[in-house]
Amino acid sequence: MKMEEMSLSGLDNSKLEAIAQEIYADLVEDSCLGFCFEVHRAVKCGYFFLDDTDPDSMKDFEIVDQPGLDIFGQVFNQWKSKECVCPNCSRSIAASRFAPHLEKCLGMGRNSSRIANRRIANSNNMNKSESDQEDNDDINDNDWSYGSEKKAKKRKSDKNPNSPRRSKSLKHKNGNNSTGISYETLGPEELRSLLTTSFSALSRSNNSVPIRSLRCPQHTDEQRRTVRIYFLGPSAVLPEVESSLDNDSFDMTDSQALISRLQWDGSSDLSPSDSGSSKTSENQGWGLGTNSSESRKTKKKKSHLSLVGTASGLGSNKKKKPKPPAPPTPSIYDDIN
Amino acid sequence: MCKDYVYDKDIEQIAKEEQGEALKLQATTSTEVSHQQCSVPGLGEKYPTWETTKPELELLGHNPRRRRITSSFTIGLRGLINLGNTCFMNCIVQALTHTPILRDFFLSDRHRCEMPSLELCLVCEMSSLFRELYSGNPSPHVPYKLLHLVWIHARHLAGYRQQDAHEFLIAALDVLHRHCKGDDVGKAANNPNHCNCIIDQIFTGGLQSDVTCQACHGVSTTIDPCWDISLDLPGSCTSFWPMSPARESSVNGESHIPGITTLTDCLRRFTRPEHLGSSAKIKCSSCQSYQESTKQLTMKKLPVVACFHFKRFEHSAKQRRKITTYISFPLELDMTPFMASSKESRMNGQLQLPTNSGNNENKYSLFAVVNHQGTLESGHYTSFIRHHRDQWFKCDDAVITKASIKDVLDSEGYLLFYHKQVLEHESEKVKEMNTQAY
Repeated sequence: MKMEEMSLSGLDNSKLEAIAQEIYADLVEDSCLGFCFEVHRAVKCGYFFLDDTDPDSMKDFEIVDQPGLDIFGQVFNQWKSKECVCPNCSRSIAASRFAPHLEKCLGMGRNSSRIANRRIANSNNMNKSESDQEDNDDINDNDWSYGSEKKAKKRKSDKNPNSPRRSKSLKHKNGNNSTGISYETLGPEELRSLLTTSFSALSRSNNSVPIRSLRCPQHTDEQRRTVRIYFLGPSAVLPEVESSLDNDSFDMTDSQALISRLQWDGSSDLSPSDSGSSKTSENQGWGLGTNSSESRKTKKKKSHLSLVGTASGLGSNKKKKPKPPAPPTPSIYDDIN
Repeated sequence: MCKDYVYDKDIEQIAKEEQGEALKLQATTSTEVSHQQCSVPGLGEKYPTWETTKPELELLGHNPRRRRITSSFTIGLRGLINLGNTCFMNCIVQALTHTPILRDFFLSDRHRCEMPSLELCLVCEMSSLFRELYSGNPSPHVPYKLLHLVWIHARHLAGYRQQDAHEFLIAALDVLHRHCKGDDVGKAANNPNHCNCIIDQIFTGGLQSDVTCQACHGVSTTIDPCWDISLDLPGSCTSFWPMSPARESSVNGESHIPGITTLTDCLRRFTRPEHLGSSAKIKCSSCQSYQESTKQLTMKKLPVVACFHFKRFEHSAKQRRKITTYISFPLELDMTPFMASSKESRMNGQLQLPTNSGNNENKYSLFAVVNHQGTLESGHYTSFIRHHRDQWFKCDDAVITKASIKDVLDSEGYLLFYHKQVLEHESEKVKEMNTQAY
């Protein structure tokens, strides 16, 4: 059509429409042709059917929407047997019990400190029946998926020398919070039980609670007495401490009674005021001479403990290198006001 | 001879190169090229579609099984085993792994780890979580490594007990943010205090707090970064609810039944000017005297993903309880009325733009809801997740089932996750790139 030879004003409607139709047809044809070329090219080059999903895969991944089944077509509640490996102790644990296990494994639980202290007392004083005691503990722990026979067998071999439980009974870690116990992570109840059943010299430099004996084995009582008098004056000798100090030479029959006292929760030894004031009294630094009845009672406990502690101190010394006692010495005297 | 069209590889390669050259000549500025001349008729496209080569074709022919993310496929959904009261963690993981922009980041492997020990990096663990959840594996995943890492890095959360999902979300975002050191995308030289990690880019918004002195009307403004917006609910003994007349009742397409509170109501209350009483006089810096003041919160900068938290757990001196009032929330949300800029224009007497203007900047779409059933002491978390654009799924630990939009919108709602519909480039000219997230 020679459009340039005509002027549009001279045309009537039918001719205009014919022109419009032709333009329209051209446009449609062009786009169809473009599309055809694309398909032709795809087929020729081999990628036309490439992104179709095969029927097998369609079936495998189809979303299921029926009552009683999840989207994969599985029945609910069949996942009780899933297991995983604990990153801390490398044991295989049932998945649904992993959280309580991890809590104990990392030493964060309410019971962890109690159980660990029981272990300390047991392992040092009752070497014969050690394995039985600890089996009893673990049965109560409820975090193992295996039967008790396996527990007994795995007992010894599983003791990882670097596990947090072991470190509780061993060294004094200087600021090594990964294996020691940072008192910040313990809740108030745990802290109370820890501090009252254990040894409460709080190392202020790094906020960790060293679990070791109050009684330094390298000095005698005479030395202690003289230093105390030197620092605090002659009136500073406390009668209650003194009387229990005289009991230094205790015999093993008494230790049974002491152990049984220690093993117990210890919660009724503390006055009711403790439960209310737990946070503040602890955080203000144990042993800074808080003159409440609480501290006196626990001091009594401490001194009893110290008797046992001596034995455990000696016992544990066999396992580790003797550390210089100089750092704890000032803190002892801070505690015993 | 066969009179068919032929396609020769070499000639096409030459043609492509020539077209590229021609496009370069056409462009005057680089931004113009990318926005306007992506496909110029006659000159071809700057970014042509990918085409397979012959060896690839052969390979694909040998392996006919295909996986696609089509709307009927389960790929992208997977249950999570409850490790012992860890339903709160499972819900947050489901919400995060179905955040489109976060999903794109992790599935394209954008994390470069710079932690001294790879096993301790939470971002790496997140990355592997994405891989696990998008693997198409029907058996539920056991997220024990994640739990362990969170307990190590956020000690206040460690311990076997029921916990708050919102608290977990904030702690997890914090740890992820700290571990993202290697992923500073873009020029970090602009602002040394402003971290450019993926968490900050996605979740961090700016909350503007304006304190107006009643005497001299001087305004003191601070902008705080925030990862979520915590909203008070009617019925809590600490809040005062002036129920404003329902002028803008269908602002966000919520069904405004009188008596039912909506998310918009909560937001309106959140951004209302609050008169600080005479017991809280603040020293005004412009008139140098202690005066009573009003405080108002607005959003200065909206995050890409907005998380709303309903304060359902009340720990007041009088009582500890859970507020179970139903709050209606919309599928699409427009945050324009709550922006600092809107407030300014209102104060200046400018006509408030109708909310259905073409401005898409502040429009959000719901993509995840976390719900809590039970009481303050003991309960269970479940979540609704949006997947495949318009399909919703209920995630109850290890069990995933299909859900309807009605189920989602009728649920109580504790944490709501909204995603921006339009993502912008961070360029000086602020050109909008109309990429639809949904």
